[in-house]
Amino acid sequence: MRRVTLETLPDYARLLLAEAEGAALRYKAIRKVHLPGLELTAHLDTGALADAMTHAYVPAPEDKQASAACRIFVSHPGIGDVAAPATFVGPYTHHGFANRLAEAGLRGSYFHDLDFWQIYDPKRRVGAQVMTVADSFPPWEPGAPLRAFLHWEYAARGMRLAHAGTLGLSGKGILLAGAGGAGKSGTVVAGLLHGLDSVGDDYVLVDTADKVTARPLFATLKQDPRGFERLGLGHRLDPARPLNWQGKHQFHLADVAARRTPASLDIIALMVPHISGNEASSIMSMPRKDAMIALAPSGIAQMPGERESGFRFFSELTRLLPCYRLSLGTRPEEIAETISAFLARSRA
Amino acid sequence: MRQSDVYAIASKDIVFESFDGEAVVLDLATGKYFGFTDTGSCLWEALSSGVSPEDLVGAATRSGQVSAADLDAFVARLLEFGLLAPAAGQAAQPLSQSLVAQLANAAEPAQVDIHDDLADLILVDPIHEVEEPQGWPAVKQAS
Repeated sequence: MRRVTLETLPDYARLLLAEAEGAALRYKAIRKVHLPGLELTAHLDTGALADAMTHAYVPAPEDKQASAACRIFVSHPGIGDVAAPATFVGPYTHHGFANRLAEAGLRGSYFHDLDFWQIYDPKRRVGAQVMTVADSFPPWEPGAPLRAFLHWEYAARGMRLAHAGTLGLSGKGILLAGAGGAGKSGTVVAGLLHGLDSVGDDYVLVDTADKVTARPLFATLKQDPRGFERLGLGHRLDPARPLNWQGKHQFHLADVAARRTPASLDIIALMVPHISGNEASSIMSMPRKDAMIALAPSGIAQMPGERESGFRFFSELTRLLPCYRLSLGTRPEEIAETISAFLARSRA
Repeated sequence: MRQSDVYAIASKDIVFESFDGEAVVLDLATGKYFGFTDTGSCLWEALSSGVSPEDLVGAATRSGQVSAADLDAFVARLLEFGLLAPAAGQAAQPLSQSLVAQLANAAEPAQVDIHDDLADLILVDPIHEVEEPQGWPAVKQAS
């Protein structure tokens, strides 16, 4: 069993890339998806990840601007000459791990439990995800496949995968930020069920270049059984489907949206939902500092590397948007109406 | 604590931004966030740029003058949180007029709150779904 330390990490990362890329002709499946400004091609084995790649994304419309091509090799020792992944030894901190790779021009993450490696070379736009066996990936991976690579690729372009929900109307939208349990995902589904649009929950691509926009990447939505019942999703979706690793129902935007997922939303506000217990929803201005603390930590924590650039990005985003506390009422349709009225008023 | 001491930001992993006069500080190494009140933000900005605490005692705010006791407590918190470190041998910097003006408009007591609920996740498992840990991440510090 190979062992890798912080000192040998850059060399090992390059080796992983070379091994995975060197077996390019040995992968059984190729999955291509067109994402905003990006042609993502994954070379991988058949199985759960290949299946997930077929369903988990929201394909982008063809760009007028040329898209960059990015290749990810999802490998394991059953493919070509790929060796078993090494074990990282020694004290591990994510920050130290990411910094060491960044010094070598690389990005990466490592999940100890599975010796699961993800390494990306942003200059060549080539990545390797190396596992011990074909299905040895963390349970959250199929819900947003290869999201770490997308994070690194878009971060290199000054964009960001934000851990936020979205709702929109006629092209204008809001970002919903906050810790788990605040009602973010339930609000997104409530809005979708009652006529609003969304470009995603959990992870959306945010750009602040000319104006604040959010674009879809992943189609996955989740609800815990209580929310599933409260939102009446059992009438639309099979409640007997197996729950995901979090014990949540997992489904797709198209399962609940009234319309096709828009290619983007112009974001006009940042909202931090909380379950108020009041019957009626309300939207109140909130300090930007508090909105930033609601938005940034989970978005930064869930994305490996790029910590400081993420902090700067989310700071800028927070300063560009008016920030509100969204006190959620008890009825999904009333919550959707409140947000719809806000968006309509902002459009006027 | 000697108020004539001068301090500096404890490490390059301490980064901060200001929002309408209120600072948010992130310790990149630990993943801890710190939110400052308006007065706290002014004092943080001054202290982290080398202004001596001695020069801040008596500064006017909308809620009164900054007392030596309050300032001592505030500096102690920043040291405890690892945000500031003594800058031995460095000359004190003057308090700028713009900070004096900002302090004069500040209304809340000098406070800093820590938000570290996600800190362990940053340290251990960067790609973890933080909503419901369900047993992850398993902390492994291989020997």
